[in-house]
Amino acid sequence: MIHFRSIERIIGALLLIEALILLGCSAIPLVLKETDFFAFLASALATACAGMILVTLGKKKGKENMVSRRDGYVVVSLSWIMFSLFGALPFMLSGTLTNFTDAFFETLSGFTTTGASVIPDMDSLPHGLLFWRSFTEWIGGLGIVFFTVVVLPIFGVGDVQLFAAEAVGPTRAKLHPRISTSGRWILTVYVVLTIACTIALKVSGLGLCDSINHSLCTIATGGGYTHNGGIEGIHSALAEYIIMIFMFLSGINFSLLYLALFKGKFGNLLHDTEFAWYAITCLIFIATIAIGLFTRTDYGIEESLRHSAFHVISMVTTTGYVTTDLTLWPQSLWMLLGFCMFLGACAGSTTGAMKSVRSLVLVKIMRNEFDRILHPNAILPVRMNGKVLSQSTRQSILSFSMFFVGIIFVSWLLFMALGLDMDVAYGTAVASVCNVGLGVGGMGLTISWAVLPVVGKWLAAALMLIGRLEIFAVLILLTPGFWKHH
Amino acid sequence: MRIVIAGAGEVGTHLAKLLSGEDQDIILIDEKEDRLSSLDSNFDLLTAVASPTSIKDLKDAGAAKADLFVAVTPDESRNLISCQLAHKLGARKTLARVDNYEYTLPENKEFFTSLGVNSLIYPELLAAKEIVAGTKISWIRQWWEFADGALVMMGVKVRENAEIINTPIYTLGTNLSYHIVAIMRDNETIIPGGSDMIYPGDLVYFMTMKKDISTIRKIAGKQDLPEVRDVIIMGGSRIAVRAAQLLPDNVNLKIIEQDLDRCHWLTERVPSGVMIINGDGRDPNLLISEGIDHTEAFVALTDSSETNILACLAAKRFGVSKTIAEVENIDYITMAEKLDIGFVINKKKIAASHIYQMMLDADVSNVKCLTFASADVAEFNVKEGARVTRGIVKELSLPHGATIGGLIRNNQAILVNGDTQIEPNDHVVVFCLEGMIKKLEKYFN
Repeated sequence: MIHFRSIERIIGALLLIEALILLGCSAIPLVLKETDFFAFLASALATACAGMILVTLGKKKGKENMVSRRDGYVVVSLSWIMFSLFGALPFMLSGTLTNFTDAFFETLSGFTTTGASVIPDMDSLPHGLLFWRSFTEWIGGLGIVFFTVVVLPIFGVGDVQLFAAEAVGPTRAKLHPRISTSGRWILTVYVVLTIACTIALKVSGLGLCDSINHSLCTIATGGGYTHNGGIEGIHSALAEYIIMIFMFLSGINFSLLYLALFKGKFGNLLHDTEFAWYAITCLIFIATIAIGLFTRTDYGIEESLRHSAFHVISMVTTTGYVTTDLTLWPQSLWMLLGFCMFLGACAGSTTGAMKSVRSLVLVKIMRNEFDRILHPNAILPVRMNGKVLSQSTRQSILSFSMFFVGIIFVSWLLFMALGLDMDVAYGTAVASVCNVGLGVGGMGLTISWAVLPVVGKWLAAALMLIGRLEIFAVLILLTPGFWKHH
Repeated sequence: MRIVIAGAGEVGTHLAKLLSGEDQDIILIDEKEDRLSSLDSNFDLLTAVASPTSIKDLKDAGAAKADLFVAVTPDESRNLISCQLAHKLGARKTLARVDNYEYTLPENKEFFTSLGVNSLIYPELLAAKEIVAGTKISWIRQWWEFADGALVMMGVKVRENAEIINTPIYTLGTNLSYHIVAIMRDNETIIPGGSDMIYPGDLVYFMTMKKDISTIRKIAGKQDLPEVRDVIIMGGSRIAVRAAQLLPDNVNLKIIEQDLDRCHWLTERVPSGVMIINGDGRDPNLLISEGIDHTEAFVALTDSSETNILACLAAKRFGVSKTIAEVENIDYITMAEKLDIGFVINKKKIAASHIYQMMLDADVSNVKCLTFASADVAEFNVKEGARVTRGIVKELSLPHGATIGGLIRNNQAILVNGDTQIEPNDHVVVFCLEGMIKKLEKYFN
């Protein structure tokens, strides 16, 4: 049973929040005396109106007050779409992007923390729009942490129990049973990380605008640029190291970060199986690529290590920042980075893709298969943090992985059908589904997303949303059974 | 000394029998009259049909004047409540049987004392500890450490290839690096003198220092036996879970359990290195496919004593050098020994000996009840002016059936022979026949 009034009410309330944020953004052009003030003001008004209408339509009436689990799924997908619809207004009204497809793509890419951009000339963008672009990623990142740590466990299906680490999820040993409390501490961690990153970048010598924008995009692991040349335009090794560290931190489960940073429980973090796996995979890839770079390019030791570490962390956390033209690297190393994108970092963080926890469980399931051949009667459990995973959790992870790979293959084919080269099409598919915004073959790097045909942009946008919301939360809306009354 | 035992289950009954031979006032209470009736007529103790958690019943049973109140019903929470009630009523010391590892952790001792529960006993944990100690070294039947391992007592079954057989003990020499404290032969425990001889098939108890274990191995003819690397446990009981958690990491453990649901229950409790196998531990094909032929230790812990004994016999046939069977039926223990099953675990005996220690007046820190040998091992702190300090050991005329194995002086382990002079504050390890500890106390106080 879907309660449309409740959905309207919630979406309306969320739009009112977005209107407030847009209004806040309009202060930037006002102070800096730039041209896009009107665009923000008009967008804020339009969003506020839409929000009001939805809230009025959704006024509580008797039983319609309730929100079912199904409503939850609708609200989640719809909120990302509606935010992007209205968030696209400033880009169109300011004249930066004239085409609705482009504006929607740009905004959704922001809200899904993909960071893919179709804006032709980043340097000429007014500060207000630059900030709005980065801020969409920041909100998207916050939304996704809230979604995975707080909302998904309430849905309570499949492998979502893994997302709410040990001490946090509302379904398990409760840190804070109430959603609002959980939401508040997520926000605290998020804001603290962002402020720390901004200060660190500012101290390292970046301009205020660059510091703020980059830290917003780093913590959201979105990877938005403020210059045409990307991070390359910054030319500061120190800033690269700072961004590297904060990207890595944002790849950690926020529940564990909260416990470590605010409760001093570093033990929880260090003993977490998923975190260990995340750190180990990062280290292995960094070492491999560093050796590859050192032997096959003319980088020195520090440069090889720095480039390797920066890009591995950037890809594993699905940020998609680059400091150099990766297409000039040996192809095998570039492809290794492509594999990093697949893995993703910890569940319950701002990162996209598979997530460490799933790849770890997959590895354990595969290892068990060998044991099963040797010991046909053995009961072989899969353990995470010492707890045995249930059969249904294992199945969810297997089917998620199948869907994940399947979607990438299908979309790879579709992009090729749209005229992209094989390698570029592959890169585009992975970059969209994993929310990296940068792909093997040079998409987002040497090739602009703007070259995609209109259909391609919509396809990429759909993939971003599906990948961002853990696949099933979006795909369930496409099943007929979801909309039936019984 | 007045001892109230609540719960006439297996542990409670065994304990009551054990203590009744000790000249103590034993009151055994239980709600079920039929559990008490056979005891009442056959042993020197008082029984009362009473609820362990009823204040009135406890008062009637005399818990208020009890020196020791022992709650050993099967229900952990009842035991704890019962102890708390008894403590409030005035019992001097209380002891509860629990089923929770967390409760037995040393840091929680203070907490339970403040609740009125002085001691906790977790028989499954104690049994698991015995198993782990037993598997540590496969050629040793039984193994005890005293004073943090400085002194070691071990039981070794000697065969024809041993060096020390068929010769009077005095011919082995003086100033040895070991001390033979007891010999177990055909259900009889002998505290040997110099003229006694050791025969093949005897279970010999040595007292020695840790560094000299290799000497024992040599003289007992056990040098060709392997170190324990692979262990198979049959039956996924709580003891199995505890043992799995206590076994060192370098030991590969497999637990064979017949019930599928129980297997899943096990996976959630054992460490990740332990493999759970669903099947019948008596099935030779399964055992072979799981590598019984290169397993050094086989432990049978199912609910059925008969199954455990038979499974151990089967494992022996596959060449497993160390087998351990849980035998809860006390009458079977002697039989199991005759059948040459290495080592028998009995929860009741372990629990009872543990509790027995609590009621001793002297500073005995450790009483071991030997399952095969009807004997006790006790540690005493020698008090100033005690009788044992009045001369060298052979002039003390210690009661027959007791021998002093070794002592700890200033953290140094010393083996005791006839010429040793015991000094005050020594920590002495005594080996004696069952029920003699009370008699020995007066020598040390």
